[in-house]
Amino acid sequence: MSNRHLFQQSGFVKAPFYNGFNRYVCQLKRITLKFCKEYGGSRGLRDFIEQNLVDFARENPQVVVYVKPRRHRSPVLVAEYLDGHREWMSLHNFQRDECYRWIHNMLTASGDQSIRYRKLWHTENPSIQGVWNPFTNRDPALNIATFPLKDMRRPANMPPTATELILEMAAQKEKMKELQTGKTEESKTEDSHV
Amino acid sequence: MVFPGMALLQRAKGPDSFWKKRRLFRLTAHFRGRNRNVWTLVLRNVKRALVRATKGRIERKKDMHDLRVTRITAAVEEHGFTQPLFADGLNRSRVYLDTKVLADLSIWEPRTFKALTHLAWSKTFKDRVEGVDEQGTPPANVAIKDLKDS
Repeated sequence: MSNRHLFQQSGFVKAPFYNGFNRYVCQLKRITLKFCKEYGGSRGLRDFIEQNLVDFARENPQVVVYVKPRRHRSPVLVAEYLDGHREWMSLHNFQRDECYRWIHNMLTASGDQSIRYRKLWHTENPSIQGVWNPFTNRDPALNIATFPLKDMRRPANMPPTATELILEMAAQKEKMKELQTGKTEESKTEDSHV
Repeated sequence: MVFPGMALLQRAKGPDSFWKKRRLFRLTAHFRGRNRNVWTLVLRNVKRALVRATKGRIERKKDMHDLRVTRITAAVEEHGFTQPLFADGLNRSRVYLDTKVLADLSIWEPRTFKALTHLAWSKTFKDRVEGVDEQGTPPANVAIKDLKDS
């Protein structure tokens, strides 16, 4: 349990509209560097601005660079992206090369990446045979059946009722009687033959 | 008068209580009512929340396992077989798929799962596993003649 995930949006793995498929569009549109001219916490960012910033801006004409000095505040980097995402980052006590790397990280990032992944994989075709549904394993004869069906009117495992048991016993008794009478008739006929 | 270092250390206060509280307030940001910002309640409820989170990490695994077993049971019973015999049959057939994969198969690839059920049924029927006779005769479309006994 950590605070970072409490209000974080959740989502699935995706690429920003196939960027780089046939051409690459830099997603970073604007970068703002705020720093103090006096305090030591801004030292690394000041060095970066002195030595690297002009080259950075020249190499990346698609990125608007703002530099904003402000007295006695810690240095801050704000990156704004094509999708409207705004990334804020403190550069307090960072060295020059650290500033350089983080700014390049912001340059190559694809906008809003700070989501909690619900799944670490993604597929366009989750099923080959078709997803299970209640009719997947049903008997297709039910498609043309007319309801109500006699077999479906009672539970599958219902034991026979007392009435049914008595009726069955009576039926068996009658059967036995028939058999006995049949036998006696047969024996009579046999006797007559003899 | 100049104090030496040790004397100063004795009087040194701990870390700033504001920032100490801030650390816990970050964990209660999503709580309801006074539990979010009243310090005494925050102390108590953060502790509870962390204990529950620790327990939940173990219980979540159990819950997921139970859920998968439930799904497998339902899927197997749809084909007229039972889950314990199904697991036994797969083991005997050397099909070592775990519950996660089986549950996923039952949902996303139902035909494969049906074949697995028939395989397990035939294998348990052939091995005369206890209780398999109550399930009736196995489907006749499985040839397990060449299956090695495990």
